[in-house]
Amino acid sequence: MTLLSLQTLFIAFFGVAGVAFGVAVFRTASMMRSALALLFSQTALGAMFLAMQAEFLGVLQIMMMATEMSIMAIFMVMFMMDPGGLGEMEMTHQKRLSIFAGIAGALATAGIALFTEWGAVSATAPDAALQVRELGTELLGRSMLIFETAGVTILTAMIAATAVAMPALARKKPA
Amino acid sequence: MSPDLMIALLTGAALFGIGIYGALSQTNLVMIMMGVELMLAGALVNLVAFWRFLHPDSYAGQMFVLIVMTVMALEMAVGFGVAIARFRAKGSVEMEEAQALKG
Repeated sequence: MTLLSLQTLFIAFFGVAGVAFGVAVFRTASMMRSALALLFSQTALGAMFLAMQAEFLGVLQIMMMATEMSIMAIFMVMFMMDPGGLGEMEMTHQKRLSIFAGIAGALATAGIALFTEWGAVSATAPDAALQVRELGTELLGRSMLIFETAGVTILTAMIAATAVAMPALARKKPA
Repeated sequence: MSPDLMIALLTGAALFGIGIYGALSQTNLVMIMMGVELMLAGALVNLVAFWRFLHPDSYAGQMFVLIVMTVMALEMAVGFGVAIARFRAKGSVEMEEAQALKG
């Protein structure tokens, strides 16, 4: 009897890949490599969603993150003093505290995952077409207010980001 | 418990921990944002796993995933806005040089 199904193997494979690339983000001196490692990490998570039969969310994750990380890579090159990492600059501080906080956060969340009684697990998921239809119904039905709020929040953030990024206007001095 | 759910939740926990480390240890604003992205990615994995393995018939879980993805995009947009303003004013986005913002 096979204890592990093919789905389990794929979920584990992409999960490990996501975590490994996540670690790689902070282990390379090159900022371009960091941005690419984050892109691969997020893409692996998108593939993990596909393995969990959340087809729409998986494809959305991959598309969104590919765009987002490409923009991030451009900003890296613009703003970093040493984007290629050739100068081996030290770009970290309070390392011990950070490692402790990271391990504590991971252990706390893993502890909750391990020691909580999650109840019955569903063996099957709705097919992809039904998922998209039901999600659309959810967005335009019960969760419409939340969906609309997200839209207004995006607009607000766009205006705020543009306002912050624009240079201050030169004021006309009174005569 | 199902091994699939366990693997997904442990992946989320690991990503959350890596994200905390990144957000606290990095001195560059863009790298700090990468840490926050990883934390949110950990939350996303958990949400998708909860939807798939515990409540596949309730689409509020998928809705929540869309909201978290929106938050990720907004964090990037506002973060880069702040980065541009900071770079224009000081010529750097190193947070070590932004001690004046410390509370």
